[in-house]
Amino acid sequence: MAFKRKEAVIEATDLNTISADEAERRIIAGVKKYATNEANWSKADANTPYLGYIIGMGIESSNLADITMSIERQFLTKKTRRAPLPGGGANDFILEDGELGKLRILEGQDALAATPGLSLKMLMDLGHMPKDDAYLGKVVSFAYIAAVGDGYKLNDALRKVLAKMDKLSGPEREEAALNLKSMVEQAKTYSAQLAEPAALASARQKTFQNDQSAHDALAKELSIVLDKIKGASSGSDASRVASLRSEEAEVRTRLKMAAAKLNVSREVAAQAGRRTAAEQAKVDEIRRLLSETIAQAEKAA
Amino acid sequence: MLSDKDLAGLRTQQFWSAALSLPVYAFVLAATRLRFGYRFKDLKAFQRAVWKELDAHPGPVIWAANHLTLIDSFLVFRAVFPYSRAWSFRRIPWSTPEYRNYYHLGGPVRQRLIRALLYLCRCIPFLREGEDEASVRWRDAAFEKCVWVLRRGGSIFVYPEAGRARNGWFEARRPKDFLGRMALEAPEARFLCVYLRGESQAYTTAEPRRGERFRMEFALTPAVLPGETSPRQISERLFSELGRLQDRWWRGSRLRRNCGGNDVVDLRSPRLTENMDPRSGEADQEWLQRHLTAKERDYLAAQPAEKRFATFWKFFAAKEAAHKALAQAGLVLPLGAFLALEADLFRRKVAYRAGDVQLDIAFTAEDEDKLHCVAVLRGGYIGDDHNPGDVLWKVAEVPSGRAAGEFVRELCLSLIAESSDDIPSPDALAFGEQDGAPVVLRRGKPADWGVSLSHCGRYAACSFMIS
Repeated sequence: MAFKRKEAVIEATDLNTISADEAERRIIAGVKKYATNEANWSKADANTPYLGYIIGMGIESSNLADITMSIERQFLTKKTRRAPLPGGGANDFILEDGELGKLRILEGQDALAATPGLSLKMLMDLGHMPKDDAYLGKVVSFAYIAAVGDGYKLNDALRKVLAKMDKLSGPEREEAALNLKSMVEQAKTYSAQLAEPAALASARQKTFQNDQSAHDALAKELSIVLDKIKGASSGSDASRVASLRSEEAEVRTRLKMAAAKLNVSREVAAQAGRRTAAEQAKVDEIRRLLSETIAQAEKAA
Repeated sequence: MLSDKDLAGLRTQQFWSAALSLPVYAFVLAATRLRFGYRFKDLKAFQRAVWKELDAHPGPVIWAANHLTLIDSFLVFRAVFPYSRAWSFRRIPWSTPEYRNYYHLGGPVRQRLIRALLYLCRCIPFLREGEDEASVRWRDAAFEKCVWVLRRGGSIFVYPEAGRARNGWFEARRPKDFLGRMALEAPEARFLCVYLRGESQAYTTAEPRRGERFRMEFALTPAVLPGETSPRQISERLFSELGRLQDRWWRGSRLRRNCGGNDVVDLRSPRLTENMDPRSGEADQEWLQRHLTAKERDYLAAQPAEKRFATFWKFFAAKEAAHKALAQAGLVLPLGAFLALEADLFRRKVAYRAGDVQLDIAFTAEDEDKLHCVAVLRGGYIGDDHNPGDVLWKVAEVPSGRAAGEFVRELCLSLIAESSDDIPSPDALAFGEQDGAPVVLRRGKPADWGVSLSHCGRYAACSFMIS
């Protein structure tokens, strides 16, 4: 007997019949049981991260897949017909218009869905629901969710050291003051970087370049394996050719994953270079908080 | 014993490689500089230092280097050998490439060109795999050829690890005996130990990235010391020497050296049982497919029903710990990219499938209530039954009413302070962030300790590396 989910049956809704705001409300409600930060969850909006405790809902990584599956369970879509992916392998497919049915979010499609708003953006980008530009205008991109999240972590770390300072004396206080000064410098650099979209984009380029190098290195590995196959095919060692073919399949799988990762980092780098009003507001808020904490820290150090 | 034909072949190869050494070397120079744009830091000073010691030792030399890319032999040769020494025919090393990797590449024309180049580069092909009679005979003959070269005062280039290090780290505590055996056959030889690595080389690749800049460290040591009688003794010393050079190289690197991760799983957490029944091991297949690769699912299915729940979470903890270790090396995985990692619980490895990278894992605190896994990419040893390794870790219950994230940070700072006589108290340390990963500050500077934090349900855990 197959294992059955221990939960109430959910009536799934056609994504084309509800507004983006309604879908957002349902997505947030759907992840309630995984949220460990009740306070942040209860006031969650389109831009509240699922993960993280400071500003996020506190969902743990062990429930990451449950977020996506919760969304799948709640909605129906017309993108249900499997069609071969152009240029893909035998198991690669995309979903095209067909009968109304269960929503499926394929591997890697949710890589940037870090908030309810970004989950909805993903659904719109994939054609599961109509694009709502007014809604998307208030959604903060993944690049800014990550960058602003780093800012909150930095601010929190700074506040923790600051809170300890008064209780310390002697060499411990001296060491803590050095740590505090270093963190203040880091916070200033971070804040300056955040102020400039170009500077943030340039920092995000580093990840993109790393991923590009990794992808190129795998492409080179593949060309070597293909060369080996070409060489071995002229001989009579069938088992060697079979073993190289399976090596080729493995490298191709890795290359596909590297390409998916590269796409994510390319998109993040591109997003970091633009800035919407919603993103600017988030940036202003964390910069204001940081500047207050920096001022206090400079006094204490 | 080598046949007359083998010996004649070696002599002919020696003659032609010597006669054409200048054009071959010019080709290596042009390829490294013009095609790949490679640069070598302080190359002349390095070569001067190497040759000062080599000139003082006229006998045979066994080159031993770390191995990260398919063209390391050319790079190490380029780094050690100045063009002005290209006439020092005896010093030009014989190499030992894997036959299957290099001798059947491409179509007939390409194969012939590559074989000609390898012949002129003094290659003695090895067959490292296969235990059948033909393979063993091939290996023995290749070994004999190397010994023949050494006994005539020549040089041999061998990778002590026998293959590329999939984690990008030379593991000094896993010696292989091959070089020890070779040294005992030519005790008057010296080991030329070289650690060469591109400054941005994070892990194993086919070739270093274009425009890469390399730094090198070297040491010339006797092949056999008085009292050394077994291959293992010699290999252990050689591996330690290369490990020391590696440490020296990393002291000058901007990359994080210690990259480790950990993950704790509270097996009694109700959030873990939603998709899998702890007793029957029955699971939602769709959910399993989002977390486990086909190979991992096969392994899970082969487990007794009552063990499947813990086994699944072992896979999960291994992947999470590996993900954290990779992030410290700048390899940040997208959200929920569980399938980009593949854990082998039997071999205690996790493979990062989007690259060619392998991490070591170990399960530490494990009982009916919880699982804890540590992973090491580089910087130290994971440990084994006889050696505790370089990772220190702690698992504790989160006190009621405390935020797990805050508690785990305090737990980690306390563990680090307790583990060092030099740190007066946890208050002398602080947590910061570096490239999205947590880092501990000491005297205002980020310490390269490979710190990792984790919490799940009732438990919090941390780890750091003392290497």
